[in-house]
Amino acid sequence: MTKEGKMIIPLTEGLYTLPSSPYEKPQLIGSKCINCEELFFPKKEKRLCIHCQQMTLEEVKLSRQGKIASFTIVLQPPAGGFYHGPVPYAYGYVDLPEGVRVETQFTGDFNALEIGGDVELVIEKLYEDAEGNEFVTYKFKLLKEQE
Amino acid sequence: MRPLNEMREVVIGGVGITKWGFYENAEWYDFGSEAILAALKNAEMEWKDIQAAFCGSVYQGTGSGHQAIKEIGLTGIPIVNVENACSSCASAFRLAYQMVAAEIYDIVLAVGMEKMPRGPIPSTAFRPWELKLGFNVQPANYANIAVQYMKKTGATIEDFSMVTVKNRRHGALNPNARFQKPVTLEEVMNSRLVATPLRLLHCCPLADGAAAFILCSKNKLKSKYKVITVAASTLTSGIYGEGYPPADLIPSLKYPPAMSLTELSAKQAYEVAGCGPADINVVQAYDTMAPAELWDLEELGFCKPGEAPHLLREGVFDLNGKIPVNTDGGLMSRGHPLGATAGGQIYEIVLQLRGQAGPRQVKDAKVGLAHAMGAGPNSAVTILKC
Repeated sequence: MTKEGKMIIPLTEGLYTLPSSPYEKPQLIGSKCINCEELFFPKKEKRLCIHCQQMTLEEVKLSRQGKIASFTIVLQPPAGGFYHGPVPYAYGYVDLPEGVRVETQFTGDFNALEIGGDVELVIEKLYEDAEGNEFVTYKFKLLKEQE
Repeated sequence: MRPLNEMREVVIGGVGITKWGFYENAEWYDFGSEAILAALKNAEMEWKDIQAAFCGSVYQGTGSGHQAIKEIGLTGIPIVNVENACSSCASAFRLAYQMVAAEIYDIVLAVGMEKMPRGPIPSTAFRPWELKLGFNVQPANYANIAVQYMKKTGATIEDFSMVTVKNRRHGALNPNARFQKPVTLEEVMNSRLVATPLRLLHCCPLADGAAAFILCSKNKLKSKYKVITVAASTLTSGIYGEGYPPADLIPSLKYPPAMSLTELSAKQAYEVAGCGPADINVVQAYDTMAPAELWDLEELGFCKPGEAPHLLREGVFDLNGKIPVNTDGGLMSRGHPLGATAGGQIYEIVLQLRGQAGPRQVKDAKVGLAHAMGAGPNSAVTILKC
């Protein structure tokens, strides 16, 4: 994908679907166990279910909406030099209705975040490199703030 | 499996510790060997009496225990290095205990030592994609647990701050602590925000340091101190479905565990020791972040879920309270040399049971419990009796 010659690059491949048309919306990709029904995000590379130890995992697309389980606004840059996004940033957990908790950054007004708040998946820029290429990631945003 | 309480009784032969803080001109093998020699002296034993050594550390690399023991003298005994994150020293202690209990050896050394890396330390628990998303900030990991705890129990940020105030007050009486100066509630509440709602003074400081123990059978005991028995030394390392953000574990919503990792290790320890929380006179809880001490005390069974903040305010966990907690100042005052931390906790229990804790002595302490947690995850519970 290009925007004025600049690249739009997923920060990490394989975490969410890439829509092929404007009518399609992205979804997180997880794993579901067809034996015990346990769910995982992100998708497990091996088919081994770490709950029932059977080779029974299948790829599954996850719900786009959920509720905030917890969140924090981080004011100190993470160690190690791996993180290139803005600080402060908000991160925490979202519970999806099919029964899986997802670790995520949040976007929108951090002050409006609350436990139990209804959120929806968005794909958004995390940072730009020196050439103006955009690195994008999944995040969750309060439903009441969606346009 | 043979039950541990049917095996041979194991007692504390001797203990040693160094001052904890930053050692700019010394390495772990310098102060590690110093702690070992202090434990030997305390035990009134000779180095050649030691039959095996278990050495806890996290960041010192290959053969770290060998490097420390080389400073004293190689004698052909087996030296095993134990890396088990913040529970490393408790894990080394447990191995030494099992060796004596199982009558494989009579006198065994357990030591924890660490010279912490300088600057921020990236966790190894997170995958590369998670590091790119900034999920690896430890105070933020704990903040995510803390906000859920606040929602569930009504605990406030002031309650968390009171933990720091209490532990720093206790730490002011500990000459081996990194911080020996009390802090006020205002100082904690006005310290720099790190990850909402947690502030800098809700986080334990880092430190370098070491602690050493000689465990032995009763007939090998030489010192004339009060005899202290290892009543339990348990370790549980992870349980399916429990969320633990510092170890990058997300809870299972479909299959939540019947009990938490801390509850499981405590249950096992109480069973082996043949006692319960009501019998414990002094506690070293795991206060790597201030709020963690509160849910730790609840999960160890000292009160019901959600009761700890209220009891803290009533002074129950003070030095002269009903259940004195972190009598040496905890991680908040001692500082956190990862591989030695659990050793600092066990050392304090030994002093308290021997009646050697000076101005911070708990009256008539007969049974003490130390709990170390940490990445992995690991949960290690040690119960000592006199």
